[in-house]
Amino acid sequence: MSSGVRYLIVFFSLGMILVSFLIGWSAKKKASDVQSFFGGTALFGPVTVGLSTVAAVASAFAVVGVPGLVYGAGNTMNLWMLSSCAFAMAYFAVGKKIRAMAEVGPIASLGDISDLRFNNHRGIKAILSIVLFMGAIAYLASQISACTALFAHLLGWNPYVAGFFIFGILTLYTAISGEVGGVMTQAFQGLIMVVAGIIMIGAFFMITGGFANVLEVVSKAGTVTATVDGQELVKQFTPKAMDAWGAMPGAIALTWMFIPILGTMGQPQVLTRIYALKDPRDMPKLSLYAGLGHFIIGFFALTMGYGALYLVGKGLIPPLANNDNAIFAVADYVGVVAQLFVYAAILAASMSTASMFLTLSSNIISRDLPTALGLKLEGSKQMNISRATTFIIGSIAIIFALTSGEAVAILGTFGWGTLMSATFPVFIIGLAWKKASSQGVMAGLTVALVLNITSLLLNRSGFSWPGGLPWYVNVITAAILVTVVVSLFTKGAADEEIDPRVDAVIDL
Amino acid sequence: MEIKKHKNLIVLLITACWVAVTLSGWYGHWFFGLCLSVVLMLLHMVLGAAQNGIISKKLLIYPLLSWAVLWILGFIVGEYYSKAFLGQMPSFTVFGFHPSFSAIILAYWVGGVLTLTLGLLYYSKEWLSDEAWDTFKKRIAELNGEQANN
Repeated sequence: MSSGVRYLIVFFSLGMILVSFLIGWSAKKKASDVQSFFGGTALFGPVTVGLSTVAAVASAFAVVGVPGLVYGAGNTMNLWMLSSCAFAMAYFAVGKKIRAMAEVGPIASLGDISDLRFNNHRGIKAILSIVLFMGAIAYLASQISACTALFAHLLGWNPYVAGFFIFGILTLYTAISGEVGGVMTQAFQGLIMVVAGIIMIGAFFMITGGFANVLEVVSKAGTVTATVDGQELVKQFTPKAMDAWGAMPGAIALTWMFIPILGTMGQPQVLTRIYALKDPRDMPKLSLYAGLGHFIIGFFALTMGYGALYLVGKGLIPPLANNDNAIFAVADYVGVVAQLFVYAAILAASMSTASMFLTLSSNIISRDLPTALGLKLEGSKQMNISRATTFIIGSIAIIFALTSGEAVAILGTFGWGTLMSATFPVFIIGLAWKKASSQGVMAGLTVALVLNITSLLLNRSGFSWPGGLPWYVNVITAAILVTVVVSLFTKGAADEEIDPRVDAVIDL
Repeated sequence: MEIKKHKNLIVLLITACWVAVTLSGWYGHWFFGLCLSVVLMLLHMVLGAAQNGIISKKLLIYPLLSWAVLWILGFIVGEYYSKAFLGQMPSFTVFGFHPSFSAIILAYWVGGVLTLTLGLLYYSKEWLSDEAWDTFKKRIAELNGEQANN
């Protein structure tokens, strides 16, 4: 890459960071009370919430990791990325109930909803907070680590300078404007991802001539080898990569279909955005906007993986030393405009997901966990403590991400599935079924917490789950099973013990 | 269609589906698990979309059941052509895709949006009517008033 292109990328990226900061700064006026600061509750229309939701869901992994997995094993990963209707499914399953809870009481966090549903059960709120924090901090550290490494390498900067520059600014505007700034900046970053996606999809068709050519190349290429800097690089192609399930085992295809679809309804970045919507009757429109945004970003990831397969199979570029380079290989081949938009998309994806999980984790530490432990603070004090917590967590996360590569990778085990294992018992089951009892949900959450940590240790020891099924499927199923079975035999916060207002929400 | 009396059964079916899908993965019956997971998703949506224990028939037929049938058909077609062209280049394509993957593109991806996303938009009143929302808000105001008086 020429130095001119590097300067252009720096200029483009700085512009995006600056605009994000200005949006965050301007949003601080709206963060006037606890509900707006912590939850952005009932403040936004469907376009803003839709873009924000998509941007927070589509992390750097969606833009970099997914094309790499498509390059490595074909269409298996596309089952994950083509889950655009998952937002509608989430809103069907839990949308109006989550939003309706914001009418019942002052809702500023998922912990508040848990309080209302389960009659201020401290244990549920505490364990929910701990499991969500585990998932949130894992997401946050991995976004910082991946984005910082990329930009430090690209620009030749010290990683600490790059990390503190990008994510320091992010921490600053997040601390100032809370979730209001989070939603607004994420909407802007989501727009950047969509625009970059459209440009790169166009570039894919320009370089390949369409999907039939990719299919032919992948089906016929066999084994491609090349020597680069003395290293022999090999890519083995198989026609299986291009069928519905790709080249990975069937159990992985199963998991990568149903976990992202169902998991969308259990992600905090989706649930918290539901109560940020001003009018719940706009949720069908929100579903459309989020679905269309995801439609483009999912297709973007698919075409980047396909583009890399085509270029390598055709012999236009050598096989990739690292599958995660797939999107960069395509961008480098296309030229400067593609490079600009690809780096902007990665920056946008990292920043949006990082800011979402920074606010979530600092809200948990400064608000949900203390109240679960019986500490209640007045609103403005809560906001000030949360601002300080955001600074502290943001700074620690940056230092941790830059100094503890292995620990970040280990922590990266937690993520989508971990968050599902906590939210399904409390919200998906709890807000749809009056018989879900506090004892049942507490038991389900305890199982989720214990099994998440146990699975982390088992994974480290090389343990393989039956059928090669990813560990989190087993954990989520166990948490749901325990929640329902224990609820059948217990009565706390169930049926007649439910707050009549929450009863009305479940009936809505 | 009233589901109020059957909510316990639906939740038990949801739980059974989660367990069965997981066991399908364990024992190598992943394709069965794939199709069963559609039933699992359908049950979650039926439970969540009902208003006062009643799920609108319109909503049930389109988008919900239409979506479920479309996805299961898409998976069956995907599996059929996956086996038919195993280890070889397919003899034809659909929009340039492997015929097996084209079923995923058309039914799973585009079809999912055309049924669930557009269906929610088209039948938004069946999902949450203005009347139901206004009644709910009024009821919450009353209950909040009662709580304040107590």
